[in-house]
Amino acid sequence: MKRRDFLKEIAIGSLMMKFNPSLLKSEKNSPDLSLVQGESPSEITKEAVALLGGMTRFVSRGDVVLIKPNIGWDRTPEQGACTNPAVVSTLVELCLNSGAKEVKVLDNTINPPQKTYARSGIAEAAQKAGAKVLFANPHRLRKMAIGGEWLKEWEVFTDFVEADKLINVPVAKTHSLSRVTLGMKNWLGAIGGKRNQLHQNLDPAMIDLAAFFNPCLTVLDAYRILVRNGPQGGRLSDTQLFKKVVAGVDYVAVDSMGATFFGIRPEELRYLELAKQKGLGENNLEKLKIEEKKV
Amino acid sequence: MNTHFPGEDYIGKVEIFFHFDPLLALVTILASRTVFLSFIFASLTLILTFVMGRVVCGWVCPLGSIHQFFSFLFKKSRLLRPKKAKDNHTVWKYYLLAILLVCSLLTLDLVGILDPLSLLYRSFTISILPSLDYSFNAFLNLLYKIKLSSFGDNLVQFFKTLAINPIFHQGFFIGIIFISLVLLNVVRERFWCRFLCPLGAFLGICARWNVLKLRIDEKKCIECGLCNLHCETQANPFPEDEWRSPECVYCFTCSSLCPTSAISFPMKSGPEEIQKINFSRRRLILTSLLGVIATPFFRLSPGARRASPRLIRPPGALSESTFLQKCVKCGQCMKVCPTNALQPALGEAGAEGIWTPILVPKIGYCEYYCSLCSQVCPTGAIQELTVEQKLQTKIGTAWVDKNRCIPYNLGTPCIVCEEHCPTSPKAIKLVETAVKTPEGSIKTPKAPHVDQKICIGCGICENKCPVVDSPAIYVTSVGESRSEQNQMLLDLLIEEEIQ
Repeated sequence: MKRRDFLKEIAIGSLMMKFNPSLLKSEKNSPDLSLVQGESPSEITKEAVALLGGMTRFVSRGDVVLIKPNIGWDRTPEQGACTNPAVVSTLVELCLNSGAKEVKVLDNTINPPQKTYARSGIAEAAQKAGAKVLFANPHRLRKMAIGGEWLKEWEVFTDFVEADKLINVPVAKTHSLSRVTLGMKNWLGAIGGKRNQLHQNLDPAMIDLAAFFNPCLTVLDAYRILVRNGPQGGRLSDTQLFKKVVAGVDYVAVDSMGATFFGIRPEELRYLELAKQKGLGENNLEKLKIEEKKV
Repeated sequence: MNTHFPGEDYIGKVEIFFHFDPLLALVTILASRTVFLSFIFASLTLILTFVMGRVVCGWVCPLGSIHQFFSFLFKKSRLLRPKKAKDNHTVWKYYLLAILLVCSLLTLDLVGILDPLSLLYRSFTISILPSLDYSFNAFLNLLYKIKLSSFGDNLVQFFKTLAINPIFHQGFFIGIIFISLVLLNVVRERFWCRFLCPLGAFLGICARWNVLKLRIDEKKCIECGLCNLHCETQANPFPEDEWRSPECVYCFTCSSLCPTSAISFPMKSGPEEIQKINFSRRRLILTSLLGVIATPFFRLSPGARRASPRLIRPPGALSESTFLQKCVKCGQCMKVCPTNALQPALGEAGAEGIWTPILVPKIGYCEYYCSLCSQVCPTGAIQELTVEQKLQTKIGTAWVDKNRCIPYNLGTPCIVCEEHCPTSPKAIKLVETAVKTPEGSIKTPKAPHVDQKICIGCGICENKCPVVDSPAIYVTSVGESRSEQNQMLLDLLIEEEIQ
């Protein structure tokens, strides 16, 4: 009997290792947040993910990955209203190299998507890197139970729910209502319906949506941040070249770090406090293990 | 079909087809007393017609092709039975042409209503393509219901690149007009071309001296009358000296039908007996008089005295009276607008302005970095602007209706209008305002406040306002750069540069 049990254990163990190699990777030693500064947006993105353990920690062979950048506005990359295209394309490459079967790039934009996808440079960059760039398809909207404390149900694009892995790639900007728009606010681009009503109770909406989508990785593009007239900007003087990228699994932590880029302490932001109370993450930067690097 | 956002800010000369239309050229030149140089191509059409008659009607005109196709269908299905044509109704189009020309001499530009290219394009933009879009979406819904999602996905992604604008005022009305014109082919073959088309009339007049003659070989002709019966435009091929070259569109039906191949079209110049267009001089004078009398009736609307607040014109539009002289109601601007904002007017611009473009913010807004409408306008009624010039152009001003705005009434935050305002600095400022809520408490939400000096009237605020039935922030035309009269701010006070 002992031999049979032994063989069974070996079989199960090897099967587990074959289908989920990340089990073996020790996650105890990786930091909570990686913060990388540098001249090249693609290099700092690569390094930020590497410091967390590499993309293979998040993406397994055969996964369908959906990368959610901010392509909401008809603005050029220099105007800082959408995610930097090089950051997006780098993440696409990393996912494909980790064995992803398909990488989709999608956003429910505000200005017409034919314009925003082109002017932001994201469609071209992502396509070149091998991603499938799609317009939001209204036929794929389905009312779903969000299960939030405030937001019970909302129309969501099924692409986000059907993907195996979700990666959130927001760009750091100021916002007149939530003060900053970082990772958790980015999920307003994954839903349909009357989004313009959510502003009437924005903070609870943001945390309910973030908890629903629960990405495996959040990469905050702070290469060129928008410090004035957000979230759309316009003049180049509204932007500031910050040259940083923050990556992490805990999206509350990423947003907390992002807030400091605008001189705001995380405790000042109500939505981060609400998220912490709900157990969605940590908003106290001192309690987090942050690894910084310059390339 | 290529008139939609092309992936970059500048679109090629998609409107060039209109420049070949000599009727549009003539009427807009007469009505506006200016020559729009792009219409030089129309002279090519004229030269071709002088030499070869109405071949443009027979071989080039897309509306003619549609009528020819449907006539063919109706004949084959026996809905249309060709009768021997005993009437002289082909003369109606010459009277219509006379009215149009007389009105244009008096600066009233009505050509867009009847010009075949304008009519065709407008009908397609406003009703035919949107109907196809609707049907296509219904079909897609079915596909998704039966779980053929991936096939549906590919179709959707392709279709979105065509960027068909699906929503139009008067879509039904304009669609009915177009379908009726097509159905008239049941009454008589190519009804529009032979009885109504003013461009056909104009080309017919120019065709009188052409060198392509119809010849019937008397030795072969058996006088069966088939050619006359099936002549698409009632040009009466038989007998040869009664052939009406101003009506002939060179479809060659007669020669291909002729059982003895007696008909041919050799090129022959030189003095010939030319068949005059059979209209009575008295009728012509009376019709022209009708044009003269009718003109003032088109000019009675208050628009000349006081601008209408909801008459928001596309950026680059000329001042109203000049705009109306040049706009040929072709619908190109409405097709290319990336947000479906431009809609055909009904009474907003007076009788003269029917089907001219107005911006309706509840449907779409004027995209900040876009000047496509000005690039595709074939007559320069919307003056072509670079994107930089367009950013400096104001088409109206936004107003907050505090009675409807959520922060002012409920104390609840909203800020959607400010968030979407594209100018930098933003034309909507948020001011923390103490308001009394219905429960009686005092709250201080951030409430919107429009800076009328900066606002360009694009309408995105009205378009995105959550008070969906009648938005709490709305745009009116006052302050539009194109109008000297429609202003409210003392010029001297405006020092700020809008970026």
